[in-house]
Amino acid sequence: MRKLALIMAVVFVFAALLSAKIVIWSSENQIPALQKLAADFERDYGIEVEIQQVNFGDIKSKFLTAAPAGEGPDIIVGAHDWVGELAKNGLLEPIPFLPDSDQYYEVALSAFSYGGKLYGVPYTIESIGIIYNKDLVEEIPETIAELEEMAAEIADDEIVGFIYDAGNFYFSFPFIAGYGGYIFKDTESGLDVHNIGLNNDGAIKGVSLIKKWYDDGLIPQGANYNLMDSLFKDGLAAFIVNGPWATPWYRDAGIDYGIIPFNEIELEPGVTPKPFVGVQGFMINAKSKNKLEAIEFAVNYIGSFDGQYGMFVGERRGTARKDVFDYVAKDAGPELYDVLQFSKSASVGIPMPNVPEMAAVWGAMGDALSIVINDQDTVENALNAAVEKIKAAIGE
Amino acid sequence: MDSKRLLGFIIVLVLLSIFGAFGLMSVILLWANANYGLAVILGVLLVSIAYILINPKGYPYRYMIPAMILLFILTVYPMYYTLKTAFTNFGTGHLFTRPQVIQKLLSDYYYVPDNPVEYDFSIYVKLEEYRPTDDFIVLFRSLASDELFIAPRPDVVQKDSKGNILLAESRMFPVINDKAKVNGKSYQLIRSALHNYILSVVSDTGERYMYFYSPGDSTTKSNAPFYLSEIRGIWLKNAEFTNPDGQQVRLNPNKLFTNFATSERKYGIKTITSIEGGRTLQKNVVYNKKTGRVLTERDGFFYDIDDNGQEYAVEGYISDVGFKNFLKMLKDPRISGPFVQIFAWTFTWAALSVLFTFVIGLALALVLNDKKLKGTKIYRTLLIIPWAIPAFISVLVWKNGMFNETYGIINRFIVMGLFGAEKPIKWLSDPFWAKVAVLLVNTWLGFPYMMTITLGALQSIPDELYEAASIDGATGFQRFRKITFPLLMIAVAPLLVGSFSFNFNNFVGIYLLTGGGPAIPGSSTPAGATDILISYTYKLAFEGRGQDFGFASAISILIFVIVGGLSWLNFKLSGAFEEVSR
Repeated sequence: MRKLALIMAVVFVFAALLSAKIVIWSSENQIPALQKLAADFERDYGIEVEIQQVNFGDIKSKFLTAAPAGEGPDIIVGAHDWVGELAKNGLLEPIPFLPDSDQYYEVALSAFSYGGKLYGVPYTIESIGIIYNKDLVEEIPETIAELEEMAAEIADDEIVGFIYDAGNFYFSFPFIAGYGGYIFKDTESGLDVHNIGLNNDGAIKGVSLIKKWYDDGLIPQGANYNLMDSLFKDGLAAFIVNGPWATPWYRDAGIDYGIIPFNEIELEPGVTPKPFVGVQGFMINAKSKNKLEAIEFAVNYIGSFDGQYGMFVGERRGTARKDVFDYVAKDAGPELYDVLQFSKSASVGIPMPNVPEMAAVWGAMGDALSIVINDQDTVENALNAAVEKIKAAIGE
Repeated sequence: MDSKRLLGFIIVLVLLSIFGAFGLMSVILLWANANYGLAVILGVLLVSIAYILINPKGYPYRYMIPAMILLFILTVYPMYYTLKTAFTNFGTGHLFTRPQVIQKLLSDYYYVPDNPVEYDFSIYVKLEEYRPTDDFIVLFRSLASDELFIAPRPDVVQKDSKGNILLAESRMFPVINDKAKVNGKSYQLIRSALHNYILSVVSDTGERYMYFYSPGDSTTKSNAPFYLSEIRGIWLKNAEFTNPDGQQVRLNPNKLFTNFATSERKYGIKTITSIEGGRTLQKNVVYNKKTGRVLTERDGFFYDIDDNGQEYAVEGYISDVGFKNFLKMLKDPRISGPFVQIFAWTFTWAALSVLFTFVIGLALALVLNDKKLKGTKIYRTLLIIPWAIPAFISVLVWKNGMFNETYGIINRFIVMGLFGAEKPIKWLSDPFWAKVAVLLVNTWLGFPYMMTITLGALQSIPDELYEAASIDGATGFQRFRKITFPLLMIAVAPLLVGSFSFNFNNFVGIYLLTGGGPAIPGSSTPAGATDILISYTYKLAFEGRGQDFGFASAISILIFVIVGGLSWLNFKLSGAFEEVSR
């Protein structure tokens, strides 16, 4: 053994020549954690990791331009709903093997799967919940009916009881899905885009509920995201529906808010609203020259407990790993309240479909909701028309 | 020809030759890269430039050369490209060309069989002054049988343009009694006396390879960076070893590349002979090596069959679809259906936008042009503000601050407050009022432009005409009607036509404020009451299954034809440019 160690010492080299280099496109928030992982990787592998900051909103479009020409980065950070389009274009490399895959939330892995293959290492999951102003709301409602009642009581000339961007399908989806509406049927080999459940009884029930809020004058006509956001910041709204990206602003505005996760409020006994779950993760460029290294960095470094914990510390968003969640939830102080509540909300959610066909759903359902809200047609007709529109746009 | 001119001619000739040589090289390179369109356009450009510079008749045109270069690169090529794209299925799923996709199928698709032969491995390197070099051999150990194999460093078969190795090959030779014969050379394993470790491999010619790295051996961890960056990162990651059974052995993706396993290329190419129309045809086809099935090609996709016998698209490529995109516009009822309504509104919108902005701009310009008015500079500055603020910001202010049904200033303070109306106006959700709203905002955004150009045009009308008119006893209105307006229109009319074309395609104005909404109830397409052609078609092309550049190109060609035809007609009828071009 000593002889072996001697040979090792002789052979040991301090500085390896850097032959390959991994380039990552990341948005600002992940950079501090990535830098640390990059340093570890460089030490272990002798391969440099270059982190380039790109606006999150620009990553997908820039990647779509650069990658086909063989120019793009090796790894990008992105949202799971890009997966379908990028994978269909042949720009993403599937992850052949994910160690500790049992430590990831099922929803996170299924969000990054397309056609039965995993296309990314997820690191954060998030979804929306009901946010309330503690100065206006004394008791936490346990059912939607209670919420309606309280909101009606609180509302006066100036203060709005309940307001959210109901014309936006993203925010109205929890109430539609809660009753059993679905977008594309989930099958074993992925989503069946020809089986659309947005005009079934559940969806009709959900949209009718939304319509009732307008009919009763609970939600003011013309409600939209900006209006809701500024009313809540001014302390003029009691209940809203929003996500974790907004709460830091509310804290800065001095609002004492609380979050009701969707698993703790019932539409009817035993039925909770089901929000969309958005997952972010790291994806590998299929045309990368350094696929092996990129996969190892994504899987063994970013995906590791330490890596994901580092991401969590940097961003304070719901983590995709159960062990990281348990670790931070164990002695979570009040500063982790938001993260924990939104994570609970995500636990009853379903991943936003990641197929390119989803593009047709947004517009069609937005139109249907606005038709219903403005009383231009019945709920059934509006939803049937929306499904027609989606089918026509998808084709075949 | 005097010597000075001769010298000048020679200098031009030399410069032209250099320029032409570079240009020609670009053309050849572009052609080689299958970029035929750009190559042809560049070629035509080069020939025209040469013609202009050499031919004495081309003398007046030589000042146009910079403009011509820009014209060709920024206008002719994009037009050609749009036209070309309109006949293809370029879009989501069809991003690469067919040769690129075949290349990808052949080189990127591997599968590890269900029961692969797996191999542990260790790397032995040659040292130079106690430093490792990238001369190495690989010692494999079969996990199943414990047999040892030796493989020399793989030979490069294929490199890319940057020198990265795309494919390298080597063979595995069995080790018997610690001895192996590799390509005529004998190798001997040297084991440590104590623990039976294999310390080095020595050839009969005296080459010595020292034990360097093995993924399972933590004592070699310090050598990992060199192995990963210099040996695996360059030589092994695209290396294919052939074992004595003739199977391909590659780094095993399922173990994250920490061992080797037999793996197969999923797709191969073979030539099949078919008889079509009485003639024998030889065709190269891609087939699945595992199932032996030839991939079918349909609609620009390669289709394979999965384990359940279900057909699925493997990869898509850009293919010609002929007039399909254009026919879709005519035949597809969801496009041709609401088309008339949207077409009519597009005209109304463009015409009214021009009319309102022009009338208001003209009125304000006339007032500002009055010499008796004090502080014209201040008014002028204030009136230009709507134009100066980016539309992206002011339109959102209108949308959220002004037109909101419950909280908007217009409803709250004007409609319900000032006029005491009982019901608020549904500005953005009622089809009629939404149209009013978009026109209102567009007028607000557009009148400063009209005001500015009218003010400029007003300066050019000579004062003597007005003096003469007032001597003849003409009233103010008569002066405006007979002098100001006709003279103004000479300068302004072409700009009005331009403004019409602009508003015809004013995507931002519509999309930001209403997004085309409110939706038309019961329609099976994303048609909205305020949708104009461009916003409607944008939704059609990009809100279906991802992006459809081919369809979008076809639509933009249609819009170009409409706008171009209208402008031509307009110029013809109004004679707008006749004064200018005279």
